[in-house]
Amino acid sequence: MTRKAARRATARPEPVTAIVPDELAAFAADPELAAMFIADANDHLGNIEATVLKLEASPADLALVNDVFRPFHTIKGNAGVLGIGSIQEFAHKVETLLDLARSGTHAIGPTEIELILKAVDVLKLAVDQLPARAAGRPVADISTECRTLMERIDAAIAHPSSPPPDPSPPPAASPSEIRDDEPSTVKVQTKKLDDVVDMVGELAIALTILGEDPAIARIADDRVTRRLAHVKRIASDLQRDTMAMRMVPIRQTFQKMARLVRDLSHRFSKPCTLTLAGEDTELDRKVVELMTDPLMHMMRNAVDHGLEPPDERVAVGKSATAELRLTASHRGGCVIVDLADDGRGLDTDRILQTAVARGLVERGVTLTPAEIHELIFHPGFSTADRVTELSGRGVGMDVVRRNVEALRGRIEVQTARGRGTTFSIQLPLTLAIVDGIVLAVGSDRFVIPTFAVRESFRPQPGQLQTLQGRTSLVQVRDQLFPLLRLADVLGVQGARRAIADSTIVICHDNGRSLALAVDELLGKQEVVIKGLGEMFRTVRGIAGGAILGDGRIGLILDTGGLLALVAKAPAHAAA
Amino acid sequence: MDGGKFLTFALGDEEYGVPVLKVREIIKVMDITHVPQVPDHVLGVINLRGKVIPVIDLRRKFGFGLTEHTTRTCIVVADVDLAATRVMMGIVVDSVSEVLNVGEAEVDATPDFGGRVTTDYVLGLAKVKGTVKILLDLDRVLGSDGQLGPRTA
Repeated sequence: MTRKAARRATARPEPVTAIVPDELAAFAADPELAAMFIADANDHLGNIEATVLKLEASPADLALVNDVFRPFHTIKGNAGVLGIGSIQEFAHKVETLLDLARSGTHAIGPTEIELILKAVDVLKLAVDQLPARAAGRPVADISTECRTLMERIDAAIAHPSSPPPDPSPPPAASPSEIRDDEPSTVKVQTKKLDDVVDMVGELAIALTILGEDPAIARIADDRVTRRLAHVKRIASDLQRDTMAMRMVPIRQTFQKMARLVRDLSHRFSKPCTLTLAGEDTELDRKVVELMTDPLMHMMRNAVDHGLEPPDERVAVGKSATAELRLTASHRGGCVIVDLADDGRGLDTDRILQTAVARGLVERGVTLTPAEIHELIFHPGFSTADRVTELSGRGVGMDVVRRNVEALRGRIEVQTARGRGTTFSIQLPLTLAIVDGIVLAVGSDRFVIPTFAVRESFRPQPGQLQTLQGRTSLVQVRDQLFPLLRLADVLGVQGARRAIADSTIVICHDNGRSLALAVDELLGKQEVVIKGLGEMFRTVRGIAGGAILGDGRIGLILDTGGLLALVAKAPAHAAA
Repeated sequence: MDGGKFLTFALGDEEYGVPVLKVREIIKVMDITHVPQVPDHVLGVINLRGKVIPVIDLRRKFGFGLTEHTTRTCIVVADVDLAATRVMMGIVVDSVSEVLNVGEAEVDATPDFGGRVTTDYVLGLAKVKGTVKILLDLDRVLGSDGQLGPRTA
């Protein structure tokens, strides 16, 4: 639903209706409109939250009050269009309070901030429940909560806690003349966007194939070459721009974190500030969506376990208010999200003790501090002294790492005892394209993502080490890597060279490494990742397919899956 | 079963038919990318104008054994309904014959072969112009390939 439609809808007077069972008739009848309403409401609620947090810092800023008022007003209007009386009524109540505040007759104090944030929570819940309610499924009853909150808002309106501010506010805009200073937007279903991205990818590939066609190459005509180059340039611009349409700033996720930290800080009585940077960094929509949960988890961990209580902080000479920093930035074709705290840092000794006690590490094994810190990502690892409501249940960093790796990302931790911990998450810009190296094995072509490759080389005779008469290890400088033929790992047939004549690719995943022997490297290429579909869901070691420059399909290797295959495979593989 | 239009094709000496509404197009055999860890009759994937679709060899699926691909060998691209989704699949056949109008009266129910021949995926037998066409339920023939397990070593 566009803002305009919402505004038009609210222009006519709408009675505030009581909660009626059939208020969702329109919602259920038009799934597209319903989905838009939910997406829209969630967008607005996210914005409100972020603005309220700013408002908390400068309660006299009437422009901020107005920024909170507008989205509430829009939600109310949209709910009105769909006839969802309960949400409309609730939003109206909050809007009344905000309207008084922005006209300068009601001052914003801690009570009001609290009420608005609570209202956001209740609205979120109410919006989330809509699909279930419309489908006739039972949901948790939140009407009492709504009622109580609305009564509290009424009370706050009747008895302002703080005196009204300086009565010289700029005249606030009335609802009918709200200025829309955002660039106009159109909401499009992700599926439609994905189809366009797919087709543009196909166009780029088709052009490459055309360009490489011998018949075209034989035409030694400047004009044809120029025109073909022109079309290619347009296609590549088109590809870049369509990719950009899938990209969204990470801002919304960051805003959620700001709210979370505020709540956590109260709950654990650990005063802290969260500094955000790089909120405008853009990532594939899907990456942003899937990163929200892991980030929330890390944030909880940081406040609960990472930060010391204020008295402890003061005792060691730190400021009582802890500092958290959440930053996003571009680095070499990736996006890095860093979460840093200035808390107590990881306790290396205790992590090791716990790991030994849990049987994750054998007693007496010497590990570097970095290796010990890696252990916190192990499933079932938790050193929390007490199990709290939010964290410390032992499902934690392993889940975070799994989620990050599912996005083809990586997570690392750096810590200094007493000074704090920084988690760094490296994410690909998009899930649609991967930078890969094309490998040849017999007549087959494979693509290995560049990020998974440490190095590649032609082996010297001295580097290869046999074990029980078979070539099975390769030495690179002072490190030994298990060496396998890619063809053997995957179980593909066809002619292939002896290991001594092949090229060796050292790939790594999740701290483990493997040397793969392939016939040759054919070059680096950005490829569009295509899923192989349901039929090949159980195939291990293959992440998808990519259409190469000659129109053939190269299979994209999944290093994690290859390592798992090797771990399971019998030792005779490297014959 | 009801009659209707069927695309008929040859596999060895037998003639088969599939509902024409399921067929998207017929293409020449092209470069097939082999995918590891799948049964023999799953040949791999092809690039159909930018889409990656799986290709099944119906000869191998039915146990006819291998033959060289000839100029008459085709890939029939069809829509197949798997458990949850509809996917495009390619089916390699020896040669495509014709589109046949099969009347309801011409179709016999599949006789019971007492378990020696799997007939789950046969819709019926059509007697047309003195020959028998085996009408296939593609969803059943290929549906069982929808969730391939890794081959156990």
